[in-house]
Amino acid sequence: MSVVSFSSVSKQYKGDGPLAVDALDLTIEDGEFMVLVGPSGCGKSTALRMIAGLEEITGGELRIGERVVNDVPPGDRDIAMVFQNYALYPHMTVRANIGFALEVAKVPKAEIKSRTEDAAEMLGLTEYLDRLPKALSGGQRQRVAMGRAIVRSPQVFLMDEPLSNLDAKLRVQMRSEIIHIQKRLGTTMVYVTHDQIEAMTMGHRVAVMRKGLLQQVAAPQDLYHRPANLFVAAFIGSPAMNLVTAAVGGSAERPTVTFAEHTLAIDHGAIERYPKLPDRIGSTVILGLRPEHFVMEGDADLPDDQKLTLNVDLAEAMGAEVHIHAHLDVPPVELDGAPVAAEEGEEELSTSTTNIIARVEGIHTVREDEDVRLAVKTHLAHFFDPATGDPLR
Amino acid sequence: MSVRRKGPRATAVRVLTYTILVAVAAIVVFPFVVAVATSTKNSQDIFNYPPTLIPREAQTVPAADVGLEGDSIPLYAFADTDAEFALVDNNVSVAEFRPLDDLERVIRLDVSSGERTGETVTIDGEEEDVFLIEVDGAQLEVYRSRLTSGGLFVDVADPSDARVDLVNLVEPLEQFGPRLENFREVVVEKDLGRSLTNTILVTIIVVAGQIITSIFGGYAFARIDFKGRDRLFLLYLGSVMVPFVVLIIPLFQLMLQFGWLDNLAALIIPFTFTAYGTFLMRQFFVAIPKEIEEAALLDNASRSTILWKIMVPLARPAIATLSTFGFLYAWNSFFWPLVIINSGNPDGRVLSLTLSTLGGRGSADLNLVFAGAVIAMTPPILVFLFAQRYFVENSASSGLK
Repeated sequence: MSVVSFSSVSKQYKGDGPLAVDALDLTIEDGEFMVLVGPSGCGKSTALRMIAGLEEITGGELRIGERVVNDVPPGDRDIAMVFQNYALYPHMTVRANIGFALEVAKVPKAEIKSRTEDAAEMLGLTEYLDRLPKALSGGQRQRVAMGRAIVRSPQVFLMDEPLSNLDAKLRVQMRSEIIHIQKRLGTTMVYVTHDQIEAMTMGHRVAVMRKGLLQQVAAPQDLYHRPANLFVAAFIGSPAMNLVTAAVGGSAERPTVTFAEHTLAIDHGAIERYPKLPDRIGSTVILGLRPEHFVMEGDADLPDDQKLTLNVDLAEAMGAEVHIHAHLDVPPVELDGAPVAAEEGEEELSTSTTNIIARVEGIHTVREDEDVRLAVKTHLAHFFDPATGDPLR
Repeated sequence: MSVRRKGPRATAVRVLTYTILVAVAAIVVFPFVVAVATSTKNSQDIFNYPPTLIPREAQTVPAADVGLEGDSIPLYAFADTDAEFALVDNNVSVAEFRPLDDLERVIRLDVSSGERTGETVTIDGEEEDVFLIEVDGAQLEVYRSRLTSGGLFVDVADPSDARVDLVNLVEPLEQFGPRLENFREVVVEKDLGRSLTNTILVTIIVVAGQIITSIFGGYAFARIDFKGRDRLFLLYLGSVMVPFVVLIIPLFQLMLQFGWLDNLAALIIPFTFTAYGTFLMRQFFVAIPKEIEEAALLDNASRSTILWKIMVPLARPAIATLSTFGFLYAWNSFFWPLVIINSGNPDGRVLSLTLSTLGGRGSADLNLVFAGAVIAMTPPILVFLFAQRYFVENSASSGLK
């Protein structure tokens, strides 16, 4: 068990290429479950592979425990890694796969046997010990990969999107098993994923990365409620935060925001969290409203100036809740010249309208093409600078 | 999986297809069958006409059965009886008699048989003595048209029934009789044994050498980063394009410098390095997911552990392919041995060379030539049968996903 710390660590693949990881400063505490999350190409896997020693470090200093490991070969770092495709040795039985590292380390045979069997038991693999990987299901292979990591009792576990090849149901199950194992062993864990649900549910802290730059490191709830910038706000949460450029008006006591044909009064609670908001009266901000910040009129006791009427494009009844999709006739908010993608892979089709999603109580019946009157909990709203994307705090 | 079509038209197509396939297969297999059949024939049988695919030998009885000493005696059959006759003497004097009332008929008897009556007849202007002989209990007036030598045949079951006839006019009795001594004979007496040992030695060392150098080279080209690697690989691969005939003279001179003329080293050393094998292994290693190797690196395995415990076991199909090609090449190679093993000293010869001289030197022993050919072609066939499952099996990707 050890602290892993990056200080100004950079990675450049080609001599003159862009930085895959740009001056990363991050300390992962002893026994902490740290999740690295971000869209593909953000540098999270590169950062992980630098801890593993599979990528050379271009600049800065990486420590595991007290030791600077920049030039320590992977095998001497005392870390274990689980790969996305598991990377089991196809010609070896489960037993040999799990015991391989111990065998290389010349651990006595009897000890290899007992440690392998202990690990197998912890993962429920005992009856599969003598099978080859090809005779196992995806979930079982995933467990063997876990077993291979556990059996060595390393200082740090590294996981590179370990659940992305599993089906949805198994993924949920393995998620809780990994949490459980990490809690039980208390080993420092660095976990890379692009799935923000995994990030939110598994990590003690989550590090959000984008284009090689660390955006924010915080506990999942902080990340959700106090995003450090527009990107984190847009990336964390599903469905994503609704973002729209709005003109600020009204008074410093009760400012208003106007976007498309709608005007909403901002509750004082928001000003406490975003004290710079009143400074922007007369100019524009980016307003961020999470889907659950909308309620059906009547479900909450909110003043009339915090209500708006939307025409429903699509209503998704999820049972406990209904997702109402609507649109505003204003261009979507852009981040570095491209629309803020709500989720990775999802492309904003329109460049002239902004999609908006509201999540209301499932008891309501909402039909397409009808107007709904929604109240907005503006005291929970987020505000960002349109030029920099920084929060107005 | 293919979809099987149904209906009369489809059936007709299938019947036609199979007929053609079977016919082609039969044409391809026929020379092998002839070779195997001929290799087990005895030296008489190979010249029998019409030729047969099944090796035959003369039926015999032990000499003691007909009251003689020595080896076994061949059996013959006469058209008028089912009895088996042993040829107890094949050099007796035979008299040919022709009855006076039927000059076309020929009766062959021992020269001592028949009594002169003292009368004479004139046949074609020649005066001949008249004899009296007994045929089937009847007295017959004959004259003696010819004296020659023939065989004395005795009925095995009834030794009192003895006949005299020309050996080549009597049907010899034959039976199925493969002559397996051909193989021993060609190995021992035609010196194929020494060549076989040489070929086995050369082949084993060449194949083992090719596997080892190809594994090392292929792994280096696939996974170890060094400056100019890809250019070097292209150059290496380019050498495959150079035909062997171009290399013969320089290679010969090199062997001359090394003093390896007439030496098996000249058949081994130049062929343990193979660009083709290196290419094959490299392609296979490249296809093995990098993560497997990285996992092993994290397990603190050294390069050599990774190579021998992970990569090589995974590359078994490629190694089997490479061994098969290497084996066939080394085993069948003829031209280079012909050039380099040239002193006439048979101790350095390999199988292909000895086989080529076998046909010229003793072409009367065609059965031995074929026996040598069968010996030469059996190992490649066995190797191919053994290795072919590796061509289809590919286990490298099965541990993933």
